[in-house]
Order: sequence, then C-alpha cells, then structure tokens
Amino acid sequence: METILVLLHPDAEGAIAKAGLEAIAAAHGLGGEVIIGLVGGNAAGAAKVIGGAGRVLAVEGDAFSQSRYATDAAAAQALVAASKAGIVMAPATSRWSRCLAGVAQRCGGRIDSHITAIAPEGVTRWYYRQRIEATFTRAELPWFLLLESGAASAWQGAPCDGTFERIAVEAAPRTEVKGVVSPGAGEQTVKPEAELLFVAGAGWTKKQKDGAAHVERAGELILGIVRTAGASLGSSKSLVDLSGEGQAVLPFLSHLNQVGQTGSTPRHPKGLATCCHGEEPHVVGWRFIQDRRAVNLDANCGWARGKADVLYVADAFEVMEELNRLLA
Amino acid sequence: MSYHIAVCAGIVPDPLQTLEPVSGPQGPALKNEMMLPAVLDPWAAHALYEASHLAKNVPGSKVYLVSLAPKAKLQQVLMTMAQKVAFELVALDGPSSGFTESADVASALAAAIEAIPGLDRSQLLLFGGWESAARAAGTTLAMVGERLGITEQFQGVDALKVGADGSLEILERVEGGKHQVSVCAGAPAVLGWATGSLPEPPNSPQTGMQNMRTVMPALQKAKPAQVGAHAFLSVSLPKQQRTTRIVKDVPAAEVAREIAAWIRGS
Amino acid sequence: MSMEPSGNESPAIERPSMDVDIVCAGFGPATGGFLTTLTRGLPLEDGTLPQVMCYERADDIGFGVSGVVTRARGIRASFPELNPDEIPMAAPVREEKVLYLLDPIGASRRSFTLKSADSLLRAAGVLDHEAFELPLIPAFLEKHDGLVMSIGQFNQWVGQQIMMSGMAQIWPGMPVAAPLIDGSRVAGVQLLDHELQPGMEIKAALTVVGDGPVGPVGRQLDEHFGMPEGHEKREWAVGMKMVIDLPEGSPLEPGMVLHSFGYPEPEIFGFFYVHPGNVASAGIFVPSWFDSPVRTTYRYLQHFLQHPYLWRYVEGGRLRSWGAKTLNEAGRRGEPHLVGDGWARIGEGSGSTNVLTGSGVDEAWTTGTQLGEAVLELLREKKPFTKENLEATYVRRRRASWLEQESLTAEKSRDGFHRGIVAGMLGMALAGFSHGRLHIPGAPIEHMPKVEDFFSERIPAARVDEIRREAASSGKPLHDALMDAWGWPAIPYDGQLLVTQQDALLMGGKVQAAPGYADHVAFRDEALCASCGGKTCVSVCSGQALTDAPERPAFDREKCIHCGACMWNCERENVVFMAGAGGLHSAEN
Ligand SMILES: Cc1cc2nc3c(=O)[nH]c(=O)nc-3n(C[C@H](O)[C@H](O)[C@H](O)COP(=O)(O)OP(=O)(O)OC[C@H]3O[C@@H](n4cnc5c(N)ncnc54)[C@H](O)[C@@H]3O)c2cc1C
Ligand SMILES: Cc1cc2nc3c(=O)[nH]c(=O)nc-3n(C[C@H](O)[C@H](O)[C@H](O)COP(=O)(O)OP(=O)(O)OC[C@H]3O[C@@H](n4cnc5c(N)ncnc54)[C@H](O)[C@@H]3O)c2cc1C
Ligand code: SF4
Ligand code: SF4
Repeated sequence: METILVLLHPDAEGAIAKAGLEAIAAAHGLGGEVIIGLVGGNAAGAAKVIGGAGRVLAVEGDAFSQSRYATDAAAAQALVAASKAGIVMAPATSRWSRCLAGVAQRCGGRIDSHITAIAPEGVTRWYYRQRIEATFTRAELPWFLLLESGAASAWQGAPCDGTFERIAVEAAPRTEVKGVVSPGAGEQTVKPEAELLFVAGAGWTKKQKDGAAHVERAGELILGIVRTAGASLGSSKSLVDLSGEGQAVLPFLSHLNQVGQTGSTPRHPKGLATCCHGEEPHVVGWRFIQDRRAVNLDANCGWARGKADVLYVADAFEVMEELNRLLA
Repeated sequence: MSYHIAVCAGIVPDPLQTLEPVSGPQGPALKNEMMLPAVLDPWAAHALYEASHLAKNVPGSKVYLVSLAPKAKLQQVLMTMAQKVAFELVALDGPSSGFTESADVASALAAAIEAIPGLDRSQLLLFGGWESAARAAGTTLAMVGERLGITEQFQGVDALKVGADGSLEILERVEGGKHQVSVCAGAPAVLGWATGSLPEPPNSPQTGMQNMRTVMPALQKAKPAQVGAHAFLSVSLPKQQRTTRIVKDVPAAEVAREIAAWIRGS
Repeated sequence: MSMEPSGNESPAIERPSMDVDIVCAGFGPATGGFLTTLTRGLPLEDGTLPQVMCYERADDIGFGVSGVVTRARGIRASFPELNPDEIPMAAPVREEKVLYLLDPIGASRRSFTLKSADSLLRAAGVLDHEAFELPLIPAFLEKHDGLVMSIGQFNQWVGQQIMMSGMAQIWPGMPVAAPLIDGSRVAGVQLLDHELQPGMEIKAALTVVGDGPVGPVGRQLDEHFGMPEGHEKREWAVGMKMVIDLPEGSPLEPGMVLHSFGYPEPEIFGFFYVHPGNVASAGIFVPSWFDSPVRTTYRYLQHFLQHPYLWRYVEGGRLRSWGAKTLNEAGRRGEPHLVGDGWARIGEGSGSTNVLTGSGVDEAWTTGTQLGEAVLELLREKKPFTKENLEATYVRRRRASWLEQESLTAEKSRDGFHRGIVAGMLGMALAGFSHGRLHIPGAPIEHMPKVEDFFSERIPAARVDEIRREAASSGKPLHDALMDAWGWPAIPYDGQLLVTQQDALLMGGKVQAAPGYADHVAFRDEALCASCGGKTCVSVCSGQALTDAPERPAFDREKCIHCGACMWNCERENVVFMAGAGGLHSAEN
C-alpha cells in the first residue's frame, strides 16, 4: 500500500475541522502508512490533537496561515515531496479545492475531487453535478483526492505529545488576502450548519389563484421561516434569476442561495421545499438532504413524488402564514 | 495596460435534459449524447460574459474562447453564444464527456493557448468555470494555469475589480455563503468563475455576424485533441425513489402544525 | 383570426439596422429546403456572394415538433443519395396500418351511427385489442416508400450542412417581430425587443417568410395584404406528441407506422411511428372542428396512449420528449398571396400542407426548394425580386409541380368532417380516390357550444356550476374536473410515461424562457375574458401556460411552448399571439 499524506489546515488555536478528521479516518481505512501534512495555523496545537494519527509534517508561518493559491500550493508541493506519498488526501474545503489540482499538475499526478465514498477497491464521486454516480480507481501516482464531508466518520484518537517536523518553504506571494465578507447588506440567509434547509421555488412569485402575484408577502413569509426556524435558505434557479433581473422580487436572494445543478448541493439533516417544481436539475439540490418534505399545490408533482418523504398538498402561502405564527 | 483573456469553456447537455449513462467503446458516455441539445458550460459562460465586460472597459483587450468539444456540436452551441459577446474562437475537436481525464483536457487547452499568435502571456487572464456541469470537478483550469506557469489562481469567483494600479481585487466563494476578498498584484492570473454578477447578454445579430468571421474558419481548422479516460468500476444513476407520504385534503393550519413539530424535532 | 401588428410596443425608439441581401424568418423544413437549394448555387458563377441570414425564434434549430412520416419525394430530390442511417432517428417506412379505435371505457362522445358500427364490429369478432384494422390503406395515404423521422434531428442535420457551407447563417434564439412593410413592398424584418436592447431592423432585397402555421410575420402579411379571393385560414388542429423509450424487448420494428381515428374522441386522429433504437413517436391531433369546449390535448393524449391497442406496446415505457404545435388544416384553401415586391412565402404558412395525406414536411421542403431555384435564377439574371419576377419564377414552379395537383385534390376533402367523423373519413376517401372531383360539403363550426350545454347529457348544469366554483377556489384546471365528471377515468400517473402536464414540460419538453422579453400572449379585451364561460384558451393550452383567473387568464411565459393553439381556440378572437422567445428545448420531436 502507498503512503498516504493527509493535508489539513488547522486554525490559529490548532483546531481541526470535522471534515479534516474525516479525511484522517478515511486514510486509515485504506491501510498503509498515514502522514499528516499541516499548513498554516497552529501546527504545535494541532499536532497535539491529531499526532496519534501518524507522523506530522508542517509548513508554518504568517504567509501560510491564509487561504491563497500560491502559498498553499507551494506548501502542499513541499509536503508531498517530503512525505513521498503515493496518495494525497484532503477535505474538500474551498482552500484545498482551490490549490490541489495545480499541485497534482506540479507533481505529475492526477486528481479527483468531490469524493463521497472511499474504499480500497476504489473511490466514488458524482458526475454531471450530482446526477450520475461513478466508482473508479487509478494507476497514476501521486493520486490526489478531495473528500466531501460525510465520506467517512471522524477520526478519534488519544491526544499525544505534539511532535512534528517543520518543512521550510519560501513564499513571496503576489496576492494579498484582505478578509472575508458576507454578501449584500441584508441578513445572512445561507447557513451551512443549520438543521433545516428551506427551499423556495418560483411559485412564490407566480400569479396565485386570485390572478395576482403576492411577492412582497412571499418575501416576508420566507424570511420569517428563515429567522424563526434558524433555517438556511435555498432557492431554485428560476427564482434567483427572477430576483437578479432587478425587479422587485425577493431582493434578499442571490446566486449563493441557488441549489441544484448550477447551484450548490448543501448538506442538512432536514429539508422543506415550497412552491418548487422541476426535474433533475432541481432534485440534485436535495441530493444530500436526509429528511425531505414538500408543500405543493399539485399532488402529482413528479418533483416531490418519490423524492420527498412527505408531500403536503396545500397552498404554501396559507401553510407558511400559520407556520410563521407557530414558530414565532 | 490591456488584457488578453483566454476563456476556457466546454459544452455540456442543456441542464434540463434527462441524462442516462451508457458504456461506450471509450468508457462511460451519455445515452444519445449527440442528440441532446447542448449549451456552453454555464459557469464558463458566466466567465465569458465577465471577460467581455472587462475587455470593453479596458481598451485594447482581447477575448479568446478556447473550447474542446465535438466540432459539429460546438458549431451549434456557438450559434447562440456568438450572438452574445465578441470573441475569437480557438477550437479543438474532441469529446466533451464528463468522464474524460481532466489532465488530458488541460494539456490540450494549454497547448492551444500557447499557440495563439500574438498572445501576451504577461497580460494573460485565464478565465473559465469554477466547475463544469459535466465532470464537475473544478480541476482542469488550475492545471492549465500551472502548465502556463501562472501561480495566482482563484476559484469560485463572483467579482473582479481592476484597480488604478492594475491590481485585481477578487471575491471568491468560501464556506458559509461568504466571499474571501483578495488583491492580486496583476496579470497573469487564473480565475475560475462562479455566477458572477452579469445577466446573460441578449442575442445580438451584429455581434453574431462579427464573430462568424473567426468562428467558421476556427471550426474548420480545429485539430483533434488526444483525450483519454481512466477505467471505471461502475457508473449509475442514483436510486432516488423514496416512498412519499402524500397528505392532502387537510387544512393548512394542520399541515403547519405537523411541519412545526417536525422542525422542532419531535 | 387574431392578427396583431408587432410584438414590439414602442415604435418611437431608435432601432439599429443592418443591411443584408436575403433574410429568412423561421427555420423549419421550408426554409431548410430553401437554403439547401440556394447555398448549393452560391457563390454565383461570376463570384457574387449574397449575404443570406435566417432568424429562428426557438433557442436552437430543430426544436420544432412534427410526426414525422413523409414520402420524402422533395427531400430525396434534394438528397438523391440520402441514407437514413445518417440522420438520427430516421428509418424507411416498413409497415403501415390505419386503425379505427373503439372506445374501451365508454367515455367518448359517439354518435348513434358510430355506436351501431362499434356494435357490429364487436359482434363480427374482427377486433384486435379494441381496434379495427382497415383492410386496405387508401393509396393517397400510403407512405410506404417514405421515411419515419424526427423533425428535430432532420432540421439539425440540414442546418449543420447549410452552416458548414459558410454560404448562409442561421441564428437561433432570435424571434422576428414583424415584417418591415413599406407600402406594397417588404423591405426586411424587425427583430424582437429585449429589455436590454431594441430589436434590430434587418433590411434585405428579399424577405423569405417560412415561419410556419402560426408565425406572426406571415400573419402580419395576411393582415396587410389580405387573403386572395375566397381563401381563408380557418381550419386548424393542435398536434401533440411524445417520443417514448419503448420497454425493453419491444417487438416493434423501426419503420412501423400506425394512423388512427375514433378514440379518445371520434374527431381525434392519432399516430404512432417506430424509430430505430426502440423508440416510438405517438401523438394526436385535436382539430378546430371538434366541437368540445374542453379540448385539453394533453389529457386526451394520455387516454390515447392507454388505448389497449397501443398500451400493450408502450406500457413500461418512458417519456423522452414531448411537444405540441399547430397544424394549419386549411391547406390550399388557406393559401395566402405567395409573393409580393421583395417577399415570398414558403411552407405551411403559405398553404402547402396537404391535409388529405396528413403531410406537411415534404411539401414545405418542396416549396422552399422551388423558391431556392427561383432566387438563383433571378440572381443569375440580375433581376430584382419584384412581384412579377417572383411570380414568373417561384409561383410558376409551384403551380406546375405535384404539390399543386395534390393540394387541389385535398382542398375539398376535409369539409365532410364537420358533419361527423364517419362522413369525414368517407369524404376524405371520396376526394382521395376521385382526385378531388367528389366531396361532401360542410362548413367549420361557427360557435363553440356552452360548457353547460355540451356536458348536459351526463352532467347537470348545477353540478357544472359547482365544479366551476371548486376549480376557481382550488386553482385547479376546470377542464380536468369536467372530464372526470363526464366519466373519463383518472390518469394512473407512473412518473415515467404518464406524468403530470407540468412534469411533461420539464421531463419531455425541457421548456424554458430567457428573461428580458415581454409576454407574447395577451388579451385584446379583458372584459370579454371576464365574461367568458368556456375559457377554451385555458383548456387547450399545451403548456399549462394559461391558467384560469378571475379577470382574464394568467399567462406564464416560462411555460409557453409557442404552439399557437390559444390564438385559434378563442372564438372571440381575443388572444393576441405574438413573436416570443423560449419554449421547447428538445431536438427529438
Ligand atoms: C441553465 C439552467 C440551469 C439550471 N440550474 C438549476 C439549478 O441549479 N437549480 C434548480 O433548481 N433548477 C435549475 N434549473 C431548472 C430551472 O430553474 C427550473 O425551471 C426549476 O427547477 C423549476 O422552477 P421552480 O420550481 O422554481 O418553479 P416552477 O416550475 O414554476 O414551479 C412552481 C411550483 O410552485 C407551485 N406553487 C405555486 N403557487 C403555490 C402555492 N400557493 N402553494 C404551493 N405551491 C405553489 C406550483 O404548483 C408549481 O409546482 C436550471 C435550468 C437551466 C436552463
Ligand atoms: C404533431 C404533428 C405531427 C405531424 N406529423 C407529420 C407527418 O407525419 N408528416 C408530415 O409530413 N408532416 C407532419 N406534420 C406537419 C409538419 O410538421 C409541418 O407541415 C411542417 O413542419 C411545416 O414546415 P414549415 O417549415 O412550413 O414550418 P415549421 O416547421 O412550423 O417551421 C417554422 C419555423 O419558424 C419559426 N418561427 C415561428 N415564428 C417565428 C418568428 N417570429 N421569428 C423567427 N422564427 C419563427 C418556428 O420556430 C419554426 O422553427 C405534423 C405536425 C404536427 C404538429
Ligand atoms: S381569450 Fe377567449 S377563450 Fe380565453 S378567456 Fe378570453 S375570451 Fe375566453
Ligand atoms: S399559451 Fe403558449 S403553450 Fe399555451 S396555447 Fe398559447 S402558445 Fe400554446
């Protein structure tokens, strides 16, 4: 079995996010030597937590504490070289996703991203944006793998002495990281950690049975649920597109809210969809939601049937009015 | 200061099409792939709109659309895209399947970009989609960038602002529905775009006619690209059928009560 | 018929303009034939290369809808070496049947004559799965030397060859709003406005109008120039079809062709063709002379598929593609002025469709090739595209061809249908066998019966009223509720082949509409709608884009498939149907 390098970026306190612990467990699941490669952050602190998982190599320094292609790629490249690993694994954070393909290219390797399952026989990922699932393996090394969260259960190990080997890397980046901003001036509606994903479809803006649209009320009801239920807000492409056209349509929506084929496929334990319709592109927005419920006027809606656990055939406006009251 | 913007964009089935995998002689493929209407990869299309917008604001800039796809299908897609923004086409003839090797595609694209006559690599902005709607991996563009020696790379880009000093302020999507703000000293750089902020430009007959001058010749001389694929153990559609409990003829208030209880986790 | 000036509301805005030599509106088989013929003759011997532009409304070429089985005489004349294997979904016709479908569930409205015929047939024991196979196929209907095709794939195949020739450009996603009419002359076309950019004027020496049966460019020409004496476009049908992946192990062979009549209503014709790759096309036509105010094609199509004769083949199959489109059934009688100064008309909008033989593709193609030859002749002789010159070249060719002979035969054939299906079939046969000399006269329906009257036989007026109120309060379609009450069984949705109409839009039609365009369906006088009891426009709407609402029907642009049925189904001529963008995104119909 090849040596496996697991790349992680601990934070300033040395903490490793759950996705990182999952990557460690996945690596151990394959058998073979596991080496941990740390970039940035508090390497000593992190090594104390995860040192039990294997030999720890680290690239440290101010330049490496930020999420930036040039420095991350240089660090990862040095760690791959030092570890002589045949397989390189990392959680699919925005940081590793940005740089590892380039590193694979530098190392003459191959990369596969969005891995959802991993076993000695092969890895599994989705093609066509969560629409076709495939399992495969490769001969080319080093083989880089970006793991989606949930691909393995988190690694658990006893704390240890925190020894690690420092790898020196030069850095003179041309890019300066300024920080992180939330989109728009309004409130945060994308909440990855939320228990519930609330999906709003274009139906909210359409003419209702009185022949008129009630967009303003729709906006209040949707935001109401997002607030009272602490939900993350997802939306269909149609609805986001409408909002983007500069009309007075749900101004709090942006493309970041879009779920599905050309949006995101968030992971939440529960999902509630209202006024949605659509086939595949839409359904992929649900791919990783465990418990799904929908409210739609159409009992035979093919989108909900067979895809949701419960379909309430009801008027979403009426249901949400009441739900807002109940949750308030 | 002016930019040479190379936009890498493949073609993918129009997103509403029903996809079904089949195994072909070169590995997995989509059933009736050549019959399915295709579009320019959506995120890469946003990159193209952004490129055009930038080129309009920075005089002397040029936009190249670099695409590897089956020639006949690409021609069809370009009849729509060519009406939207002005570009010069660099075409490669090869598979557009998501099951092909991204490293091979990157190598072909990088070679094609290097061969663009008069390209100023120091002013090169390499644009593309963050992830394709086919392979959906987000790996190709970074490898093209590496092959061209570009070490400033950004993925999931939603905004780009050029400063007076030629610096590039870039917003990238990061976790939590947020954006990371970075400032890059200047070209060359790689930008893998997400949705950006520009609406899809309307079709313009003039733009179309102007683009046709390069589109047809570029298609006619499109060279075949060597693109392979690794072996697959299995390729399948998700088994997504759930047993749906249908609740109807129940007052809205009762539905709301049931949902509230469910949300509260009881 | 409702005709309207233009899809563009604001004449005052400054429009960009562009000059070309020849501009075409619409890319269907007619324009395919035209451009194939024309581009093959370009550049001219002296090196002249006119600039030829074609603007197509749909988001890609080949998003049209048709059967299609065709004798392909004109198409084969253009492609003598034609090998059906080169065109996806094409196959030579191998087997043909004409079926009279009986009603296995007793829900259709059958006349006494028909009921008696049904009893006789049942007693005689000559039925196969509730269908009677006509012992012989009238010669005029036979297509045994023809092809089964997908119109979408055929149009794409043709379009690619034209584009690759470099002699003409075909631009999809570009609706033509109106012809530029300058007195007796047409000077080009005006493209549709987008909120970010006004539609451009394309000026041309020749404007070729091939925008099909309900195309707004052709209708505006009809409006301006009037129809020739005694001609009118008053007979229509909406044709709706599904392309089906047949269940594995299906015994059906590519090239099989079935035509049917008798079910789900006697007035509704059906077809079923088998393509290579275990795929079939199945569809129905709901004609304007079917006197039901509830003419919901989608529901009828689902009942058609479930007829035992077909169901044994399609059960377990999967919907792959879906669409609908209007068929101009007036044929030769609906022929408008074919040419004028600077313009010519081809295809179904020019009255080429032969309703007797049920074919329009090859006929449309042929009119296109005739115009193509004519234009090459005029270009070579350096003659202008005047009415006289186009008459002497294009119209002369058209009049001298098989097309003219056959459409004259067909001209009278359909009248008998207004007297009922049996007379209709008989009328069709008489006219066909006698080459048009004998026919049963009749006149199109002038007034749609009231819903209450139409259903009175089985649903008391009070119940109709109740159903109406229920539909209004639940927002559910009235026509479905009425069909249920009449006795049509509920559709057993299976999520594969029998799906809701909304699902058909996405699973089959992949319907979408780019933002930035105005609504292209509007209502002339909203007060008329408010007092309208039938709301036929809603029940016929192929895309469920029109839904009932208190004032006037609500229109959802994102669901419209541009079939044009709403336009001719409002007997008050209250629907304004204009050029619009979007619609179907399937190239398999
Ligand atoms: C390039 C491209 C990319 C795409 N990418 C995506 C993507 O990433 N994500 C995605 O989701 N889709 C995507 N799509 C698909 C597209 O956006 C579909 O149209 C969409 O999935 C369906 O829209 P909808 O559900 O919002 O609206 P509709 O289909 O209009 O559905 C409206 C629904 O609301 C219901 N409704 C209306 N009023 C009420 C009420 N009072 N109470 C209850 N129900 C009501 C109706 O019954 C109906 O089912 C893409 C399409 C394209 C062309
Ligand atoms: C369900 C069905 C089954 C049929 N079966 C058969 C069959 O088996 N055999 C047969 O021979 N015929 C059949 N037909 C008839 C056949 O489809 C038509 O006669 C034929 O398509 C007419 O060709 P055309 O080129 O004149 O018009 P069309 O095919 O209608 O083409 C017109 C084109 O113009 C475009 N257009 C419209 N308005 C505009 C605008 N404003 N700007 C730009 N473009 C515009 C349209 O999008 C379209 O692409 C069938 C029709 C239907 C509906
Ligand atoms: S358009 Fe015609 S059919 Fe439709 S509601 Fe109005 S009057 Fe009635
Ligand atoms: S609204 Fe659109 S889909 Fe409905 S009948 Fe009219 S043209 Fe056809």
